[in-house]
Amino acid sequence: MATTAIPSETSPRTAAWPAALLVMGRVALGLIFLYAAYAKLHFEGEWHLRDYHFFFAMAIDSYKMLPISAVQLMARVLPWFELALGALLIAGVAVRWIGSITSGLLLVSIGAMTRAKILGLEINCGCFGNNEKLGTATLIRDSSLLVLALAVTIGAFLIRKGQNKVSS
Amino acid sequence: MKSHPVRQIGFLTLAALCAVASAAFARPQTKAPTPASAKAAAPAANPNFVKAIGNPNAPITMEVFGDFQCPACRGFFEGTVKQVIDDYVIPGKVYIIHRDFPLDMHPYARQAARLANAAAEFGQFEAIERALYDHQEEWSTKGNIDEVMASYFPPAQFKKFQAFESQHISEINASIERDRAMGMQRNVNQTPTIYITAHGKTEALPGGGVDYKLLKSYFDYLLRQ
Repeated sequence: MATTAIPSETSPRTAAWPAALLVMGRVALGLIFLYAAYAKLHFEGEWHLRDYHFFFAMAIDSYKMLPISAVQLMARVLPWFELALGALLIAGVAVRWIGSITSGLLLVSIGAMTRAKILGLEINCGCFGNNEKLGTATLIRDSSLLVLALAVTIGAFLIRKGQNKVSS
Repeated sequence: MKSHPVRQIGFLTLAALCAVASAAFARPQTKAPTPASAKAAAPAANPNFVKAIGNPNAPITMEVFGDFQCPACRGFFEGTVKQVIDDYVIPGKVYIIHRDFPLDMHPYARQAARLANAAAEFGQFEAIERALYDHQEEWSTKGNIDEVMASYFPPAQFKKFQAFESQHISEINASIERDRAMGMQRNVNQTPTIYITAHGKTEALPGGGVDYKLLKSYFDYLLRQ
């Protein structure tokens, strides 16, 4: 008598696809963050490793949110921080925590952009390079990135939770 | 325990990136002059309509695509340009070139630009620029530019500006259009848009104006090179 195999909830096939989606999501997010860092360091056709922070500081300052000393510090650090986040996301290191930090960073950026839009500031976004005008399209794009970052973070937490259940 | 090799790879990647970044920082950059920058630093096509302040041989040239009726341009002029004039233009370190970029949303911007062009012919560009921005609120609602500006110049001199403007209106309009076309060619999409030329290289600053302290730190960096 023939028997039909019923796939169990923990069969390798069903367990693999959320993990594969997570990998795709974090690699995509990582590449976008690497590009964001690259665009701040390389513009007008050349690398600006010695003076990138002057231009980025001007873009950050246009939001009129921080004192000049904080703007200058942020301008120096943020591109390298984005580079590190991108690399860690691609490498899959501490995805839950790196995903949380990435989501937080995007949330702060979107908050600043929304504030600038409400105040009617005609400024540059400073997201991918220094001369990208802030508009509704940039807000929608960055909000989509936030959704992706949140999906990666929540996915990483859920997968970890599932692994803990299996091992216990 | 399972994730250890993955973490090690991640940390090694990060360490390698940091090493590359620090090596890049340490390496001195060479800046070759480019034909584009040389073009940007050159005087306007028609030398009779150059609106500039300072010494043309200054090591830094700051080009400002501006609109006299634009509030952001006024803010940039009042908060940054005036200090740049005192600290960098007067000592001969910076040369400022104004490029007309009147926006369609400002009905009196062209009229103001025409008067500025006429005043520039008499060596009064700096004075008219100051007067137009300082009193922007007085003329920008009604467009009574001549009436407002007349009180800030000796009557005989102001009459010369007006006479020159009416006699050379087509040339002045053509000069404004040349500036606008130059801006469009360089993807200017807002005012003020600022270009800095130094060491044979031209850089666009983020549009919308720049804080004086940040611009000063950039100028000081360029002057140290």
